[in-house]
Amino acid sequence: MNVMQLKPSDFETDQEVRWCPGCGDYAILKVVKSVLADIGRSPDEIVFVAGIGCAARFPYYLSTYGFHTIHGRAAAVATGVKLANPNLDVWVVGGDGDFLSIGGNHTLHALRRNIDLNLLLFNNAIYGLTKGQYSPTSPVGTRSPSTPNGSVEQPVNAARFALGAGAKFVARGADTLQTHLPEVLKRAHGYKGASFVEILQNCIVYHDGAFGAINDRSKSQNVTVRLEHGKPMVFGKDNDKGLVFNEQTGAFEVAEIASLNSDAEVAVHEETNIDHAFALAQLEQPGFPVPLGVIYAEETPHFTEARGFTGTKGDWDRETLKAIL
Amino acid sequence: MTYAVTEACINCKFTDCVEVCPVDCFYEGENMLVIHPDECIDCGVCEPECPEEAIVPDTEPGVEKWVALNQKYSEIWPNITERKDPPADAEKWSGKRDKMDYISPAPASA
Repeated sequence: MNVMQLKPSDFETDQEVRWCPGCGDYAILKVVKSVLADIGRSPDEIVFVAGIGCAARFPYYLSTYGFHTIHGRAAAVATGVKLANPNLDVWVVGGDGDFLSIGGNHTLHALRRNIDLNLLLFNNAIYGLTKGQYSPTSPVGTRSPSTPNGSVEQPVNAARFALGAGAKFVARGADTLQTHLPEVLKRAHGYKGASFVEILQNCIVYHDGAFGAINDRSKSQNVTVRLEHGKPMVFGKDNDKGLVFNEQTGAFEVAEIASLNSDAEVAVHEETNIDHAFALAQLEQPGFPVPLGVIYAEETPHFTEARGFTGTKGDWDRETLKAIL
Repeated sequence: MTYAVTEACINCKFTDCVEVCPVDCFYEGENMLVIHPDECIDCGVCEPECPEEAIVPDTEPGVEKWVALNQKYSEIWPNITERKDPPADAEKWSGKRDKMDYISPAPASA
């Protein structure tokens, strides 16, 4: 790996960034550029693959290789890119429509195959590019041009979907939490295998305020719990609340720390515990703090390793293919 | 890239920009606001909110000095996240040019 001293501005392009003023995508773009600079890989060793949607404009705005593919198929194209050249850092960017609606099956299979990709789901719970129809993650009751009386379907919980698909790395961040999100993305990049990151992203035009105080820097501490492996799951402005695991129900409960017999009753985050991961992923507002950070991470051989590939071009040269066929 | 507040803000300080900033990157001096260039995400939502057209992107020519001024004061002035009433004489200063002589380096009073 060729580590260089890079600045976020080294990843800018000459393209005018075209999202609506105030869009959360700007905040994510800023974080991604700073993370890429910190990672230090040359832009020609990085590929961003996107499908269709507002988020999918991402590759135009990064001086890496990029591919604006077809709707929902970014994960499939990225799979091909990674298998053809495993030495590339491959990122997949899409919205809730791209990843969970038209591209739901590709997301599922990329995750269960554990291809070494970094998948970033920009979840704004609405179809922004097509002017505001409800999406698979829109909450019940969302009024939109396609649901004038309010939606009735249960929304997909993206993190639970990923866990259910067999993802071994599942994390969550929020667009405007500019000191938290970079750490999440660095962990995702460092994980060898399919790393799935749901980024809660505000659509200022069609779904403004969809995530309430979660991505409001000054109020976020009250409605989110920041996960750190091996640390107790406390939250609230004064860290006065905590999550307690109820062994009988297999679910987390919120407790005032002052009311507990001992601080030790607060559950410690074990990011390798799949049962805790499912229980954490389903915590939602109102009633529960929304977990942000790495929900689940389990080291396991990724696709290329499991297939016995060496990660070099020799895996796919003529002689190798002849021997297989 | 970033947006920057220019001298048109001085003594006007309407704070409409503060209300819309998704990352709360405005900082408040006694008679002017500035944007923290390292925190600005370049989303541009504040630009049309300013009645004085004081906010400009750094892609425009001649903005470097304003970015430098914004950088300097954003590191010493307090963060402002909610709209507040403008100074009583804000209208008097509205539309006036070349206000740089009137900038106060003092932070906003709490």
